[in-house]
Amino acid sequence: MTSWRRRWQRYRRQNRFLVGVYLGLLLLAGGAYALFTRMAGLPPEQLTNRLLTFLLWWFDLTLIAVLLFVLLRNFLKLALERRYGILGSRFRTKLLLSYLALILVPTGLLFLLSAALLSGAATAWFSAPVERMARAGIQLADGVRAEAEARTQRAAQLIASRLVGLPAPAARLAELERLHTEMGNHLTGLVRNGIPVVELVDPRQLVLQRLAPLPAEVFNTDGVRGERFGGTLVVRAWHRLPDGSVVLVGEALPETLVRAQAQLAAGAVAYEHLKMERPTITATVVLGFGGLALLVVFAAIWLGLYLSRRFTAPLLALAATTQRVAGGESLEQVPLPAEDEVGMLVGSFNSMVLRLRERDEELQATVRRLDTVLGAVRTGVLSLDPERTRVRGNPAAAAILGLPELARAEIPLEALDAAGLPRLAETIRNAGGSVRGSLSVYPGGVARNLEITVVPLGGPEQPEGWVVAVEDLTQLQRAQRQAAWSEVARRIAHQIKNPLTPIRLAAERMARHSERNSPDLHDVVSQGCRAIVEHVQAMQEMVDSFSQYAKMPPLARRPTRLGELAAQVVTLYQGVRQGLRVELADQSDGREVLIDPEQFRQVLANLLDNAVEASPVNGLVALTVCSEGGEVVVTVTDEGPGLPVQDSELLFQPFYSTKGRGSGVGLAMVQRIVTDHGGSVRLEANEPCGVRAVVRIPGGLP
Amino acid sequence: MVLAAILLAAAPLPELKVELFSSPGRLLVQMMVQRELPAEWSDALSAGAPVGITYRLRLYRNRHWLWDQRVGAHELVVRAQRDPLTGVFTLVAELDGEILASGQVGSLAEAIRWVTHPPPSEITVPLRAEPLLLFVRAEFLTHYKLLVIPSTVGTEWFQFAVPESP
Repeated sequence: MTSWRRRWQRYRRQNRFLVGVYLGLLLLAGGAYALFTRMAGLPPEQLTNRLLTFLLWWFDLTLIAVLLFVLLRNFLKLALERRYGILGSRFRTKLLLSYLALILVPTGLLFLLSAALLSGAATAWFSAPVERMARAGIQLADGVRAEAEARTQRAAQLIASRLVGLPAPAARLAELERLHTEMGNHLTGLVRNGIPVVELVDPRQLVLQRLAPLPAEVFNTDGVRGERFGGTLVVRAWHRLPDGSVVLVGEALPETLVRAQAQLAAGAVAYEHLKMERPTITATVVLGFGGLALLVVFAAIWLGLYLSRRFTAPLLALAATTQRVAGGESLEQVPLPAEDEVGMLVGSFNSMVLRLRERDEELQATVRRLDTVLGAVRTGVLSLDPERTRVRGNPAAAAILGLPELARAEIPLEALDAAGLPRLAETIRNAGGSVRGSLSVYPGGVARNLEITVVPLGGPEQPEGWVVAVEDLTQLQRAQRQAAWSEVARRIAHQIKNPLTPIRLAAERMARHSERNSPDLHDVVSQGCRAIVEHVQAMQEMVDSFSQYAKMPPLARRPTRLGELAAQVVTLYQGVRQGLRVELADQSDGREVLIDPEQFRQVLANLLDNAVEASPVNGLVALTVCSEGGEVVVTVTDEGPGLPVQDSELLFQPFYSTKGRGSGVGLAMVQRIVTDHGGSVRLEANEPCGVRAVVRIPGGLP
Repeated sequence: MVLAAILLAAAPLPELKVELFSSPGRLLVQMMVQRELPAEWSDALSAGAPVGITYRLRLYRNRHWLWDQRVGAHELVVRAQRDPLTGVFTLVAELDGEILASGQVGSLAEAIRWVTHPPPSEITVPLRAEPLLLFVRAEFLTHYKLLVIPSTVGTEWFQFAVPESP
């Protein structure tokens, strides 16, 4: 059963037109059957009007039914589409209602006006004057006939009264002839037992000679009768005599008069007939107009529906495509060729889609490249939403932070708290702009030293998101420490080995002279001991330097006039060597800087030490204090031989010395103190000769 | 008795009086209109317009909800027309399109009487002995409500049981 139903539904869908034709033919056949049945019951003279009315009724009813069906079907369809939120249903509903209003209102008004006009015109046709004229025609015919009847009756009575006193047939005949002539009758006769005894006819009235006799039974009483005969009206009246004879008098009205009366009467009858059929005529005309109006409405609605579908199809397709695209589906073009403004719109949309596809592909490629890069780099990268509630990271970040799910999907930022990274989460939450810093975190109980950089995307005021770069410095710092310790050990060994060799040689020399009991043993011992003491003292100084470098006190910053500090230090070095000039160029104007004055005094002293030592006899050592771009810049220049090595950074390493003496911690201490102040120091070649040491400290002179 | 007589006198006559005379296979129907005809109808007749009364006869079996309950349908059309020249009313009665009777009378009253008291109509009935119902009405004119809705001016449908033939 279900299979049959399915097959029938499929057949019906595929053959909707055929089914429609079949149903239409069925309706037509039913209508024709009803029509012929109805026709059989109609009298012939009413067939035309009634049939026309009947056909118009069926036509109108069919049109109304079809119209209602089309409207209801479309309204139902639109209602369902609106209920299910199908795109375009609201627009089509408005369009259909507008069409209906635009079509039904004027057509309905036109129909009502036409019906009123027709009804008024029909009423005007049957106006009182016309009716009076028609009635007058009838009355005229009645009057003429009545006058003729009265005249013939009077004549028959008169003749009968004259014949009563004449019993002899001959006398009666003579009197009859005399009266016929005297009265000018058209027909005068005497009938006995229904049989005409004598009939006297006016020779000018030939029609009366062919007139058939009246039936015998009418002569039982007096009477009169009018008959159409020979194109005229013949009136015959009869009057009975006491002996049973009947006097007959006839008159033929003039043909012209009768013809005129007949025309008047026919017109009057036709008028009356038409008057009776007036409602049918009015109904026929109104139904005809109604059918015409319905046809117009039907055609207009059908056309409106067709046009609305045609007009809205590209727009709806465009809207559906944009909706799909807005819903996240892939970009697609609208396949609707059109040449009007809608076509331009569709073309513009398709061009936009093409461009967006290209950009999307470029973006996808960029994203893939970025994903590849982010997957390959060893720096962890976290991305966060503008509210910093959800976070996602690359594989390196997941590995560094010990959160594998971070690389797979977005997770709440609170998950970092639970994973032992509360300081990282707090730093990210509290970052007001670009922030850079180091953190020690303990994900999974393992200590990690991280360097993090928090950067807002699109500006700190209204960030579109946040990016956090996480660098795991644990291994690097460990390696750096190991390398530093190795270097320190190597240099300490080198520094210790240098004095040990002369000490060992002096000891061996004293031992050899002692074994040989050499006479100059006393001098040798004295020289040896002096050398040993000198080298031990040098070692002591070196150890003190190590101790001083290792035990750098914490910074004690306070507002300090750097110019005055520099002047105090320069004063110490003026005259330290004969011919050497040590000059100060103070451009600080006495303004204060937040520094540790004691440690910064050591910076200046170490730099001046090196400059003085490297300068020639009549050289010049210049110290300059100035401000550049929010930084305090201290420059120390000399006129010495210049940088001993190409890589000036080596000179800042602890225990590195090119002088063959000293501990090699002077410049290392300078760099450490300056770095602790947040500044920087570098050595560069001075023109035309010498070295220039430049120290930059943040926080310019106010 | 007086009250009964008063009530009987006050009781309105039926609009259509029908007498049935049954014989095997035939039914003679004598119909008489006992109501006043519309003035429009009488005026049209006196003015010479052809007017008439259509007597519709429907013969049904006494059973419901079956499509073949109608046994037959007949129409007796009685028409009258006055000749304005002669003043004579020509009368014709046709049963199912066949002339049943015709005549001429000289007065309107006679013509109306002839039309309202048409000659008896003989229709065929099934020979099977089953109860039959005859529905009869007389139609005088057709009017139109709201210009287009046809409405027949006539009597109501009257229902009569067809007597068994002797």
